[in-house]
Amino acid sequence: MEEIISIKNLYYTYISGKDRVDALRGVDLGITKGEIFGFLGPNGAGKTTTIKLLLGILLPQKGELAIFGRSPSLPAARQSVGYMPETADYYRYLTPVELLNMYGNIFGIEKSLLGGRISELLELVDIKNAAGRLMGTFSKGMMQKVSFAQALINDPDLLILDEPTSGLDPVSRKRMREVIRHLREKGKTVFFSSHELSEVELVSDRIGILDRGNLLAIGPVKDLLGGRGEGESLETFFLKIIEERA
Amino acid sequence: MRTIRAIAGSMIRELLRKKDFYVLFIFILVLLGLLSSQTFFDLEGVSRYVKDLGYSLLMLFSFIIAVTFTAKQLPSEIEARTIYPLLAKPVSRHMFILGKYFGGLVVSVITFTLFFAVYAAFYLAGGEEGSPMLLVQGYIFGVFFLCLVVALVLFFSNFLTLSANVTLSFILYMIINGFSDSFRDLALFSKGAASVLYGAIYYLLPHFDFFDLRVRLTHAWDPLATWVIAAVAVYTFVYCSILLYFAGILFGRKRL
Repeated sequence: MEEIISIKNLYYTYISGKDRVDALRGVDLGITKGEIFGFLGPNGAGKTTTIKLLLGILLPQKGELAIFGRSPSLPAARQSVGYMPETADYYRYLTPVELLNMYGNIFGIEKSLLGGRISELLELVDIKNAAGRLMGTFSKGMMQKVSFAQALINDPDLLILDEPTSGLDPVSRKRMREVIRHLREKGKTVFFSSHELSEVELVSDRIGILDRGNLLAIGPVKDLLGGRGEGESLETFFLKIIEERA
Repeated sequence: MRTIRAIAGSMIRELLRKKDFYVLFIFILVLLGLLSSQTFFDLEGVSRYVKDLGYSLLMLFSFIIAVTFTAKQLPSEIEARTIYPLLAKPVSRHMFILGKYFGGLVVSVITFTLFFAVYAAFYLAGGEEGSPMLLVQGYIFGVFFLCLVVALVLFFSNFLTLSANVTLSFILYMIINGFSDSFRDLALFSKGAASVLYGAIYYLLPHFDFFDLRVRLTHAWDPLATWVIAAVAVYTFVYCSILLYFAGILFGRKRL
């Protein structure tokens, strides 16, 4: 199977004056094509740092990291990547259509295709009725929907979602799950971090649990829970593994 | 190129949708209108005074818009976290800086053009001799000036806070317009290390004064020779290229 994300012995430390925070301590991870991978961990576990490294926003200090076999710091490596950040706040003086147009242009999507793609995405995230409104007037949930739409503008082969369901109503969450499953059917790879364990359990093929920069567990949800006894929920498993380490 | 266009395009929309620009534009329009009305009294030299003050205001307001608009670009992208989805796209850090540069420049040139059109109308209607060619040169030099200002402010954005950036830019503007020649004189008339230091300051400072055609326009002197314009264009290009290169390097090293 083609490996879309490859992380080997990855380290990252934040240094501010005399303070050192080891965000990642030798993480190894491989994600193959068509996989939905849920990335779990408590606050400060290193999830967002991993995502920033995967997007080339941060550079690895030690270890190897590749997406589609290339360093993510190369802009061309990100041509087929879609990213939805944890806190969605977009240019408040633009409308969703203008934002998607801007991003579409950056990806070099042909004008003749871009209009249709934007319309399709706005319908998908159920925000077509606000397509011409300035985003400064949007609620958090609406911004989150725009954020999801912008992540899909280039029809990405790898979709990286950071806490995608926060701020979304149940209907929108369900729709997002459906879209993620649909992407898997199309052979796309999805890497997402979340605190919503039930969400992760519902859609992930495999999960990884990160705590204080260490990957504590990795594998299919069923396998991980199977090893811990029947009937254990992901939440119980997650809490146990984090508490054991503490 | 499409990336630079896309980033710059969003900045132009920002300008057109914010009130700052309209307020300043109306303000300068009213100010120049009031100033020009003084010529009706036919007082000797008043027309020149209006041209002089009008040009100074035109440059100052263009400078204010260029500095305040450009200085907030990087901090607001980082603060609002809009930078993350943008840098997650196939956009290099240098490309991002160039997009912000051209966006800031286009916005500044649009405002300058509108201000200059008002100034030119009053200038030509002023009653005294005034060469349209000199006006064109004044416009070109104004654009060169903004090229340098926007590059400088963007460079400062990498290591200064918004308020420090704006303050330093204004201080530089005042120092260069007021004391640039003093540094040259000090370099010429002092000796040893002091002469080298003053000389270094003189040559390193961005010479906003090179673009100042106020006296020439006010007194309706002859237009500049072509080689002078070419020399100033080369100076602007080289200075901006150096600033943008280092702005890109610094931004590339910035931990986001």
